[in-house]
This record gives sequence, structure tokens and C-alpha cells, in this order.
Amino acid sequence: MRLIAILWVWFMLAPAQAADLSIALTDDRVEVDTGFSGARLTLFGAISGVETPSADDGAGVDIISVIRGPATQFQIRQLEKRGPIWMPGNTHAIKDAPGLYLTNANRPITDIAPLPDQAAYHLGADFLTINAAQDDVEAADEAQTDAHAELFAKAFVSEAEDTGLYRDRVGGVEFKKGALFTINVDLPANTPVGDYSVVVYLYQDGILLGRDEAELVVNKVGIERRIFDLAHDQPVTYGILCVVISLFAGWIAALAFRKS
Amino acid sequence: MLIYLPIAEIPVDPFVVIFMGAVVGFLSGMFGVGGGFLMTPLLIFYGIPPAVAVGTEASQIVASSVSGVLAHLKRQTVDFMMGGFLVAGGSVGAVVGIFIFRYFRAMGQIETFISLAYIIFLGLIGALMMVESVRALLRSPDAPRPRRKHRSVEWMAVMPFAMRFRRSQIYISPIPPIILGFLVGVLSAIMGVGGGFIMVPAMLYILKMPTNVVIGTSLFQIIFVTAIATVLHAAANQTVDIVLALLLLTGGVIGAQIGARAGRRLKGEQLRALLALIVLGVCARLLFGLVTPPASPFIVVGAP
Repeated sequence: MRLIAILWVWFMLAPAQAADLSIALTDDRVEVDTGFSGARLTLFGAISGVETPSADDGAGVDIISVIRGPATQFQIRQLEKRGPIWMPGNTHAIKDAPGLYLTNANRPITDIAPLPDQAAYHLGADFLTINAAQDDVEAADEAQTDAHAELFAKAFVSEAEDTGLYRDRVGGVEFKKGALFTINVDLPANTPVGDYSVVVYLYQDGILLGRDEAELVVNKVGIERRIFDLAHDQPVTYGILCVVISLFAGWIAALAFRKS
Repeated sequence: MLIYLPIAEIPVDPFVVIFMGAVVGFLSGMFGVGGGFLMTPLLIFYGIPPAVAVGTEASQIVASSVSGVLAHLKRQTVDFMMGGFLVAGGSVGAVVGIFIFRYFRAMGQIETFISLAYIIFLGLIGALMMVESVRALLRSPDAPRPRRKHRSVEWMAVMPFAMRFRRSQIYISPIPPIILGFLVGVLSAIMGVGGGFIMVPAMLYILKMPTNVVIGTSLFQIIFVTAIATVLHAAANQTVDIVLALLLLTGGVIGAQIGARAGRRLKGEQLRALLALIVLGVCARLLFGLVTPPASPFIVVGAP
């Protein structure tokens, strides 16, 4: 009985003694002002239970953060040469891909985590599961469709990397005094709005010691966002407003340059 | 400094956009053309999605036509009856144009479609203008100019419902103006142009309207039809970027003033030859963009 009690206490305390980390956001509501070219998100974190997170450089400890944007529907087309001109071919729908996928790490992820972990935790855009299905599936046979889907999924990730929506970055992680660290993440101007998840992984010598998660909401503010909302929520009103503004602006211009 | 365009959804340098507006404004002031057929390709070259370039141009043409319409109303050089039939045809044309636009957009081929439409029209018009102006330049000034025939076109004389257009002093059926308005309306909605470059010659040579009412009546039709096209593009495609339109207008009105002064120093034939060169240059650039292998073979579009 006594043994059981001791075991129970040990069991309960063990997680607290084991290495772990916890993170916090400065604000769980990020407002991207679309007038600027993006926003900066700062994550604060504390490492616990690791014996040598050296005060100065956090020697031996590695940090990876993964920011995942809201699930988004994309479409991808390949340009094909038809006659003399290049035009888009069949549509492949990319269903529920992250609208934004950013990783930050203190050194290259391949040096931090073993390959199975990279795949399991999607540490990097290349490890995302992207489903690219051709809209019109009747034409192609299944084997070919699968090969195409994989090709288009790869192409999609590389396109998203080009536009800055998917990015693996070494840097942004700063070890502070003691067991504290910060991660600075630059959100691009084309950051989609919606619910985001943030996961931070703590590694040492290629072994996952702990992880913590946080959630945040990205909003866009500013006049550009209001125009976007109006144009999409009340398109007819917006269209009429555009005509009225154009007429008024044209009239002002005519007054300004009237021959005196 | 960058401004994020709310509908085009890309950041642009506002001064570059204003400058582009000024360049096209300069050309349109100099040549006395609307400039939509130069502005839309320029926006596409700059990286604005073609569908947004077309929708936005419609609203910019509304704005830049106001001063012309006001001036012609004041001078009473607008044939309202003719304008009414043109607008009636043009409204239906704009609706049809938007349907065609939507169809190609749903297929994902709107970019190619707009480029091809521009290549065909700019190529044809540029070539015609070039031939005409080179002929005029080569003709010795003493030689007698070919006289314009004043006979009305035969096929038009047999059309029903002929009526008197008092301001234009012609007696024709309203069917040709309605068809003309319709065709220009379709073009206007698909290409983001006013269509003056087709409307004006057609009014002069087919409808045989007198020169003094042609420009005013054409502007009257343009401002109505582009206004309708703006609302339709906004409602059906969400492709009207009012911020982009206002930036272009700012540059455009300044450029047009300077251009109008510069234009007075050149002869008509020289102006037309120069414009033909520019039109053919834009056409060649669009064609080049379609036939050269793309930098990236994939196109991604996304809606959150």
C-alpha cells in the first residue's frame, strides 16, 4: 500500500520534473494592418526541467515553432502549350491546405529533429499532407491521377513558398536569460484572416523533450480591409458606390482643371 | 512606401501606379482617346490580375469621362436620342459581356481570354491606323484628298422603324445604333475599355453622323455603359478595385492636361502614326507574354 502511494506521488511529480516548455503570446489576437507589408508576432517561452539550458546561448537545446493558418481551398493549374500560346490546363483543387505555414527554428530543422519526427509533426512545408485532386477525374486513369496529384501537391507547396505563404526559416529564435526564449515571426502582407494554431517543440540532441500549443486569431484592420469586406459582402452596394465615387472624383478633377 | 490594394490583394507602390495613370493620361490627352485599351494591358504588365484590371478600368473610365461629358452637355453636342439607343444596346451588351467574362473566369481561362482579345483588337486597329496614317503622311499636300461619299449605306436604308434624329440631322432606323451599342457594350465589359475607338469611326462612317456630335454622343454612351459594367463587375466578379481606380485617376487627370498641350504641337497624321506604333507595341508585348515559356509553370489561386 505504501509502495503504491510512493509510486503514485512519483508518477504525479514526474511530468513536472521532466523537461518541458510552455509558451505564451503577447496577444492572442493579431491585427494585420494591410497598409503595411506585414506584421510581427512575438512568442514568449520558458524551458523547464532541462539541466543545461545555458544562460547565454541555450547550448544543447533546440526550438522549433510551427504556425499554421486556417484551412483554405486553393486551385492550381499547370500552364500548357497549346499551339503557339501557353494557357492554363485542368484545375486541381487543393482542399483544406493551411492558408499560411511558417516554421522558425534556431538552426536547420534537419539538424534538430530526426526524419520520422519531421514527417510526423510536419516540421516544414515539405512535410505537409497536401491533397490535390483533379476536378474532372473522369478523363484520366487512377494511377496517372495519383501521380498527377502528387506532382500538383509538390508544385503547390513550391508556389506557396514563392509567394511567402509557406516558409521555413532558420532564425527568429532568441534565447534570453535563464530558461526564457522568444520567437519573432514575420507575417507576410498576404496573411489570411482566421484561426491559427501555434506549436512549439523543444529538442535536445535529436530527442523531443516537450511541446506546447497556443491559438491565435488573425484579423485584418484598416480601410483596405473594410473595402474588401464591403466588396464581398454587399457587392451591388459596393459597385454602385464605386460608380458614385468615380463620378464625384471625375467631377472634382474637371473642376480642378477647368480652363480659367 | 507600399499600399495594399484591397481587391487586387497585392501591395503596390502608389507612386508607380499614379505615374502609370499619368503616362496613359498623357497619351489620351495627346491623342484624344480614352486610354482604356492602353491602361488595362499596362496594369496586367505591372502584375494586377487581368480580371481586376478590367473591372477597375471600367470604373476609372467613368471617372475620366465626366469632364468630357460635362463639356459636351454644355456645348449641346450630345444627341440624346441616338445616345439613348446606344445605351440601350450597350446595357444589354454589357450584361452579355459579363456573362462571357464569368464563363471564362469559371473555366480559369480569363487571363488568356483577355490577352487574346487585346492582341486581336490592338493588332487590327494598330495596323489599320498605321496604314491610314502612313498613306496620309506620304500623300503630297497638293494632291486632292479623296472625297467622302455622303450617300447613306444601302443596307441601312431598308431597315424598318426609320426615324429622325434631329441633333444629328439624319433619318435612319434605330436598329443599327442598338446593334452598334450592343457590340461596344460587350467589348466594354470584357476588355475594360470605353470603346470610343470603335464607336467614333462607326458613327462617322456607318451611321453618317456629323462630326460635331460624334464625340459628345460617344462619351454619353461610354459613361453610362462603363457605369453599368462597373456595377456588374463588382456584383458578379468582385473585381473592381476602387483604390486602384482612384490612384490611376489622380495620375490620369494630370497627365491628360500635359498631353493635351503636347498634342497641339503635332500634326494629326503624325499623332495617329505615333499612336499606331504604341498600340502595336502593346499588342506585341502581350503576344510575347503569351508565347514565351512562363517563369513558373503553375498558377495558384486561393480563397480563404
